Amino acid sequence: MNLFAFTTIFAQAGKGLGEFAGDYSSKWDAGTYDGGLVFAGIIKWLVTTWGVPEWVPLSSILNGVLEASVFPEIGALLITIGLVFGFVNIFAIGAVWSERKVSAHMQCRLGPMEVGPHGILQTVADGLKLLAKEDIIPRLADKPLFALAPAIVFAGVLMRFVPLPFGDQLIASDLDLGLFFIAAVGAVEVLGVIMAGWSSNNKWSLFGTIRTATQMVSYEIPIGLAFITVIICSGSFSLMEIVNQQGGSLNASDGYVYGGWIWHWNLFRNPFMLVLSITYFIASLAECKRSPFDLPEAESELVSGFHTEYTGMRFALFFLAEYAAMYLVAAVAVVIFLGGWWSGIYPLDALGLGPEATTLAKTLGLLIKIGVFLSKAFALVFVQMWVRWTLPRIRLDQMMYVCWKVLLPISLVCLIGSCLWELASGGASVFGFGIVVE
Amino acid sequence: MTEAKIRTEEMLLNMGPQHPSTHGVFRVVVRTDGELILESESHIGYLHRCFEKCAEGNNYLQVVPYTDRMDYLCAMMNNWGYAVAVEKLAGIEVPERAEYIRVMVAELNRVASHLLAFGTYGLDIGAITPFLYAFRDRERILKIFEKLCGQRLNYSYVRVGGVTFDMTEEILADIEAFCDYFDPKIIDEYDNLLSYNGIFISRTANVGVMPADLAISYGVTGPSLRGSGVQRDLRRDAPYGIYDRLEFDVPVGTGEMGQLGDCWDRYMVRMREMRQSIRLVRQALAGIPEGPFCDKKAYRAVKPKAGETYKRVEGARGEVGFYIVSDGTNIPYRVKARAPSFSNISILDKLTSLSDVMVADLVAIIGSLDIVLGEVDR
Amino acid sequence: MIPCAYFMNIFKVARSIWIGMGITLKYFLNHKKTLCTIQYPREKDLIPARHRGIHYLETEKCVLCWKCSDICPVDCIYIEGVRGVDGPLQGGYRGQKATLSKFTVDYTVCIFCGLCEEPCPPKCIWLGPEFDYHSTDRTMMEKNLLSDEVYTESDEVFVEWARGENERLQEEKKKQKEAEKAAKAAEKAAAVAVAEETPAEAAEETTEEASAEAAEENPEVEGDAAE
Repeated sequence: MNLFAFTTIFAQAGKGLGEFAGDYSSKWDAGTYDGGLVFAGIIKWLVTTWGVPEWVPLSSILNGVLEASVFPEIGALLITIGLVFGFVNIFAIGAVWSERKVSAHMQCRLGPMEVGPHGILQTVADGLKLLAKEDIIPRLADKPLFALAPAIVFAGVLMRFVPLPFGDQLIASDLDLGLFFIAAVGAVEVLGVIMAGWSSNNKWSLFGTIRTATQMVSYEIPIGLAFITVIICSGSFSLMEIVNQQGGSLNASDGYVYGGWIWHWNLFRNPFMLVLSITYFIASLAECKRSPFDLPEAESELVSGFHTEYTGMRFALFFLAEYAAMYLVAAVAVVIFLGGWWSGIYPLDALGLGPEATTLAKTLGLLIKIGVFLSKAFALVFVQMWVRWTLPRIRLDQMMYVCWKVLLPISLVCLIGSCLWELASGGASVFGFGIVVE
Repeated sequence: MTEAKIRTEEMLLNMGPQHPSTHGVFRVVVRTDGELILESESHIGYLHRCFEKCAEGNNYLQVVPYTDRMDYLCAMMNNWGYAVAVEKLAGIEVPERAEYIRVMVAELNRVASHLLAFGTYGLDIGAITPFLYAFRDRERILKIFEKLCGQRLNYSYVRVGGVTFDMTEEILADIEAFCDYFDPKIIDEYDNLLSYNGIFISRTANVGVMPADLAISYGVTGPSLRGSGVQRDLRRDAPYGIYDRLEFDVPVGTGEMGQLGDCWDRYMVRMREMRQSIRLVRQALAGIPEGPFCDKKAYRAVKPKAGETYKRVEGARGEVGFYIVSDGTNIPYRVKARAPSFSNISILDKLTSLSDVMVADLVAIIGSLDIVLGEVDR
Repeated sequence: MIPCAYFMNIFKVARSIWIGMGITLKYFLNHKKTLCTIQYPREKDLIPARHRGIHYLETEKCVLCWKCSDICPVDCIYIEGVRGVDGPLQGGYRGQKATLSKFTVDYTVCIFCGLCEEPCPPKCIWLGPEFDYHSTDRTMMEKNLLSDEVYTESDEVFVEWARGENERLQEEKKKQKEAEKAAKAAEKAAAVAVAEETPAEAAEETTEEASAEAAEENPEVEGDAAE
């Protein structure tokens, strides 16, 4: 499945990523917003809702870039990439710090306290240190592969951010095949990890690589089944569409989505979804190599697994990729199960929606939605950390057991159960609220 | 592709001497087939410091600090083992108060040692938090020892003829406070956090099964032997000090999570022994008499008559034995130490060959044997 | 068809994981109360009175008995000096009973066993509360207990000088004695000449006495022999 997706995507990539993104960008919000690009959205939103005049230099310049006939989308695309990249970096810095703090507080310690208040700049200092470190490539390593591997791992994670929303309308590119894209591009990371371990020419790294390959390839299947179930229930691959459906019933008259309550989330759509969300979470832990599935880098067995031989910035890239993947799987879980940016409280969700909404309400609504989305994702990231600092690591054969004999059958049962439920109830949730599918 | 075209290869993997899970500088060369270990070969001696030779050049008092450095995690028991042997050789009577103090510090040291074993075993299995909890509580014991004798690891506290310093009321109160803090609440928490954790059980149960007869034939002693269900504890079977007057149970492996003698049993024996140790400390606290804490004369200059003796005590890892030959001078003619870790680690290669063992299991087996390389190599 | 044990197993594992996670969450939520570390360089823990750290020497009390360096299992205490305040050594660290030119502990060797403080008759050497010893250089690890500083090259120069001075004074004393002896011998020879006896035995006795005296006077020799 992934291989097929790969070839399609790379064939598309030949045409240029911008064109590709343009081709697949959805027109969910017909008319007002057609770029599908965050920045274009922000500019348009600034100009239309706040009436920012054209003479304001920043917006006019960027608008000029956007309106230019030669690169209508490439400029905005680059800016979008910059924004996503920046978010990933800032998130990784914050997440590393908070992981250290969380672990410290669970272990009766203080954690970093020296650099900045409560050590908040410790990760920045560590990053600078890693930048200044010598870049060592072992003499007997396969040099091109060794140098390329961290970039591929990092790119593999970053690419998955493309169809991922950060809030209402804030999405790099709302691909029609969003979930499929995320599942497919996930395989790139495995490729990078295998390259890293193989090219290091180190037996311990090789062990880490073998474990990674078995683990990540296996755990893509429960994740894929969770995706398929959600796709079947919502009838769309697009992450925006999936989230919008969890916001309650559509108001057909003006095309706007009105916020619903917490039971409109996919999590409570049917009992199978509840189980499926747990299997997805467990599989996602394995997917981003977090404890108790941190076999690829088990420090007490393999010292550091596939990135044993890496130093300096190359190591930092692996580190960054790991934390970016943590956010990514959490955000995907939020999108497909936890209602995305919907807070689950009707008045809060309805704020700023509808044609009569004031500018202030619109702005507030947007900010609340971003906040809700991010806090849900961060809460899941916290759970990942919490699990890591509590549980022992499982063994390779047990990892395969969990995947093939526990998660896979349960996911399959949930998939079939969800299908039957949808058929029987005509798309109604447990609570009897009909969710209209266009 | 036909099966004949797939070529598999065995891999020789060098685990150690610098490896996080070998608990020191210990090297295992393993022949692996993928993750499976076909054969393992242990190499020791990286920490050899000539204890026995050093002992031949120093007088009876000067040997005491060297015994600390054998098993640095339970130095009290090593000191005690040496002291008991010299006392037997020289016919020295130990004051009653010193005996009580010895029991107290030795059992506290056993708790500290088992706490470290518990913490590092969690670390080997992949759980990091229990390690820090264990160190938090071990720190309290070390603080007590620091108050008592000025050092945190190499105490040199139990000496020939008694102990170095007297217990003060403050230290006794500290010990009592530690017992009250530790015994039911904290150990139960450890059990909930790690011992009965499903993942931990699946990692350790049925792994590295050590049958009782095999363990005995390899000279395995201490908690590792008791994990195989053998009721053998020198404190009860060959009492020294005042152990014959104290009440305690000898926990043995039960095989409740898998086969008898697996890693979980060995681990659990240590957890249960901690409770018994606290029980012993409480009894000693209740019964400690007033009086001198050491035989000053014996303490200063020991000059046993020519002869030889062997005495053993139950250390945290097994039987700590000292064989001392005296030629009538104040310098021992020969000191031979029986180090429990040395015998315990000798069974490792056999255990890896007995059943299908994976790389992760090897780490679990080494951890469950709870070796101290300072003692293996001496 | 589906074994019940399969589900029981999953349930048991999930339950145990939940219990374990409850414990860590409890600690996380009460982290201010359960905190057990300190910010080391800023806050310092209480060091107990019996702590065995870096040595201290009360120079004025020292009687130069070498008991500390004798008992030391690793022989890391180096002492030079002369017993008695009116010893031949001029300068140096003059105490009530002895004059010390060198008293160092090599911390690359010392094992902090505390044996040295026990046999000391005036209890003048003891292990203090300092525990943060570190150095970037092996030569910095030898501490001069006389000045409470690292034993440096300038100290070595002083010790060399003191050693030389000592030896010179010893030599002078020896010469003086020899001269006295020679005078005595001459007297004896004169007496012998009168009494007609061989002076060999008497001469031997006197040399033995002289060497014993020299050994007592120059404890350095004794110390070296002990080491």
